[in-house]
Amino acid sequence: MYLIKKNDVKKIAKALEEKYTLYGPYVDEAFGQCFFDKVSADNVDLNAPIPTNPPKHVVFPHLETIMQYKYDKNAKKVDIAMVFDDTPKVLFGLRSCDLTGLQCIDRFFLGQEFVDEVYRHHRSRMFIVANTCVVPFKQCFCVCTDSGPAAQEGYDVNLTNLGDSYLIEVGSEKGKAFIESFGFAKATEEQLKQKQKLIEKSITMFEDIATESKAWASRVMNRVTTGFIKEEVWEYIGNQCIECGACSYVCPSCTCFNINDANTIAGNTERVRTWDSCSYEGYSRMAGGHNPRKPIEDRRNKRFLCKLSYSQSKKYLRPGCVGCGRCAWVCPGEIGLPNVVTYIRREIHE
Amino acid sequence: MSYRPGVCTFCGTGCGHYLKVDGTSVQGVFPSRVHPVSKGRLCVRGWNIHELLGTQERIIKPYIKDSGQANYQDAIAKLVSALSSYKPEEIAFYASPRSSNEDNFALMKLARLVFKTNNISLQAESGHRNSLDVLYNGTGFAGMLGSLEDIRKAEVLIVAGMDITTQNPIIGSELHYASRSGSLLITIDSRMTKIAKLSKKFINIKPGTMRIVFDAIGHYIDKQQWGDTKSAHYEEYKKYLATVPFDSIEKETGVLPAEIAFVAERLVKAKSAAVFFTSGISGLSYDTVASIYNLFVLAGKIGKEGCGVNPIVGINNLQGSFDMGCAPDLLTGFQSIDDATAKKNFEKKWGHELPQFKGKTVEQLLADSSSPLKALVIVDHDDGIVKYADRLQSLPFVAYIGAFTNKVADVAHVVLPITTYIETDGTFTNAERRVQLSLKKCDNTFDVLPMWKLCDTIAQAAGKAFNYQGASEVMDEIASLTPSYESISYKLLSKKHGVQWPCTKKNHDGTKYCVPEKVSFVLPQKPYAAVQATQEYPYLLMLGKSQHYWHQNNIMHKTFIPLREYNATLLLYPDGYMAIAPEDAKKIGVRDRWPVKVVAEKASMKAMVMISDDVAPGTAYVPYFIREGIASFLLAYSDIVSQGEEATIPVRIEKV
Repeated sequence: MYLIKKNDVKKIAKALEEKYTLYGPYVDEAFGQCFFDKVSADNVDLNAPIPTNPPKHVVFPHLETIMQYKYDKNAKKVDIAMVFDDTPKVLFGLRSCDLTGLQCIDRFFLGQEFVDEVYRHHRSRMFIVANTCVVPFKQCFCVCTDSGPAAQEGYDVNLTNLGDSYLIEVGSEKGKAFIESFGFAKATEEQLKQKQKLIEKSITMFEDIATESKAWASRVMNRVTTGFIKEEVWEYIGNQCIECGACSYVCPSCTCFNINDANTIAGNTERVRTWDSCSYEGYSRMAGGHNPRKPIEDRRNKRFLCKLSYSQSKKYLRPGCVGCGRCAWVCPGEIGLPNVVTYIRREIHE
Repeated sequence: MSYRPGVCTFCGTGCGHYLKVDGTSVQGVFPSRVHPVSKGRLCVRGWNIHELLGTQERIIKPYIKDSGQANYQDAIAKLVSALSSYKPEEIAFYASPRSSNEDNFALMKLARLVFKTNNISLQAESGHRNSLDVLYNGTGFAGMLGSLEDIRKAEVLIVAGMDITTQNPIIGSELHYASRSGSLLITIDSRMTKIAKLSKKFINIKPGTMRIVFDAIGHYIDKQQWGDTKSAHYEEYKKYLATVPFDSIEKETGVLPAEIAFVAERLVKAKSAAVFFTSGISGLSYDTVASIYNLFVLAGKIGKEGCGVNPIVGINNLQGSFDMGCAPDLLTGFQSIDDATAKKNFEKKWGHELPQFKGKTVEQLLADSSSPLKALVIVDHDDGIVKYADRLQSLPFVAYIGAFTNKVADVAHVVLPITTYIETDGTFTNAERRVQLSLKKCDNTFDVLPMWKLCDTIAQAAGKAFNYQGASEVMDEIASLTPSYESISYKLLSKKHGVQWPCTKKNHDGTKYCVPEKVSFVLPQKPYAAVQATQEYPYLLMLGKSQHYWHQNNIMHKTFIPLREYNATLLLYPDGYMAIAPEDAKKIGVRDRWPVKVVAEKASMKAMVMISDDVAPGTAYVPYFIREGIASFLLAYSDIVSQGEEATIPVRIEKV
């Protein structure tokens, strides 16, 4: 544990920038929207609100070429090459919900029988600097999904804004070695207590929905797991879905993808991987035309089964939802996850 | 920091987005949370627009049919010499409602100033022109009277025969939000669409009776003496309302008199109300739009906040393309070509006389086999003219201008590539008249010209250079010639989510909703012609076109996810489908995906059955996009098909 001056944060970012491509939160100058993207150390802004996009796109891009092949007609030979991106990257100022989301994605792509090499390369040389949320945002409910407001694990370095200084905690050997090189002043137990107090205060600042009862979401998880949800509730939710896919696209833990081959002007063929969503009809359709989840309500509940049911939680070793609330921002219906939890709870209580 | 703000260019909603641009390629997209219309939302098309923008299916080199790949200079020389060899009446320009305002203005200038022809029109225009004509005749205002931004301010919202969550999903979303926060959302339609399911009141009408239903509501309001009687032509309108078959309204339309009274009362009593209907690819007829408009005049719902008669266009810049004068009889800003002052302004600015002869639309010229059409310039074609494929192939000269590969380009004698909208600057005007600036986000790697520049280069080759240094100069010229765009400039639009025209020197912030100087009722032109089912032909067949516009769209085929989603229906019903109600299926003795023969008086066709709760018993629904299956059937009924979304044909359905 170390204690640094506010200005030293920039020093850390600059040092990382020399070895890694820096990704972090910044505020768009035209309209003030906050993004998590490639940024220079000078522009990275740890005080910016929660980025509107999760950092998922750094390790799992919206659209990505994963393979190239070329067929030589005359020689009857095919050249195939996998395409990897293993540039060293640093995720700087990651909030705990997004870090938890990254861990979910890790477990999907790396933690199962099949290890996704494309993803592994993205992830292989990565440095993570987390940032404690001492103030939550309006749509946040990470306290209910055990993913915030402070990161517990998975970071190399964690920063907490104590007001006039930052507390640094290291979470890995890599992080320790890096921070030690600066020779910062050591922090005391007192400052760690101060961090704890700030987190406790932060928890009281969440919207009522998330703090009235921490069982807010878990009660619904129980219902979703046991399947005691009336069809009418799913229909009510499904009717509001216009099948845009936004909830999956902005979810820090959603991993579904689609694979397509496309010819290039240069005469190659590229295999591209794009984000996909369970709300789309074509997503669950079988090759023969049968669709086990044809009606929209059957597709729509798939997402909530994925995010809230215990069977999925076993895969992620935690609930699939990380409580960032972004799906509520982008949903053209009113069926972002917090709303769905409310609808199901309403049914429980009625 | 690779996210750059921009405008989605699929539909007429004009949502705000950020494109993730890395060098010359677009890697992703994210919605803009502060955009006044979309407020952080995008639909399936918008969320995957980078797939289109990153496609390799581009036209990258000019092409001359006789000699193969060419450079711009030779291809343009060929175009100019070919067009110059014909009389102006024999030349036509087919503009694209997807092009930016600058591109369309430059094309219109090229047609009128350089090639001296008034034969310029838009693809997929028919419906919107009807809407604009009605609104212009009634208020002097050729655009949406209300505003999308004001949807949540309306107490009553009516959706008239439009599957809005499919066609313009984010407007549908806005209506849903308004309804959830207290507005009364009413859908009047012949099918149970998604918006009907989300509405507080769904009025299921017999196909083809929209106009009667709206007039009946007007009739009721007038009878109760609740209406505004001060607007011009009220007496004629009252006389016309007397012809509404009000006493037999249930038999005619399937709507109960109590439902008519309910809508009438809520509409009149509400402080504000707005109506939304499809306009564009295949909209409503002039008379139906007039009925909808008249009802709102009568109910006193014009010129107030939250009020509006709102035609919804399915293509991003259809409104702007009309604003740019891409019609045989229009100059910019809906100024008539016969308007002496406007004409004089143009002639003074351009230094040449405008063509005198009365132009025709490209559709008119292609459909009429005796028309003098010899040479056609097509820009960025979508789907509209495939039915004229034979005529197209027999034309002595066809030129194609576009960014993406396209089957229509195969018949062209000269092909000229252009940039996509992110590779140049341009403005787009959405359904609510919002002119939005989209700045260049990356260079194109093929050295192709933006269309405004290409038009200038063609003009230069023909000896009448426009001398534009940039797209902003085109906008400056548009502003100087167009009263409703008077104050619009790139400087005004930068760092803004657009302004809604009229944007004049007195009114830099634009106009949210129109407050007309004078409001008149617009009298319908034809008597009612609702089609009735008979014993021999007991089912009323509806033709859906605008709902399915995106299914067969050329640009959809350049994407992955939207293509898959839009093709999902086609994979299940490869030869098209005919949706019927479950009880009708039982009666006929067919199951889902079984073939049937659809017999009408003049023609018949085969179709696959789709059993759906969304259509009412006694009706059937066929999507227009199934070209192969129904082309000949529709040809026999081309007069009815031309009625757009109201087209109704009585049929018999036989099991085969």
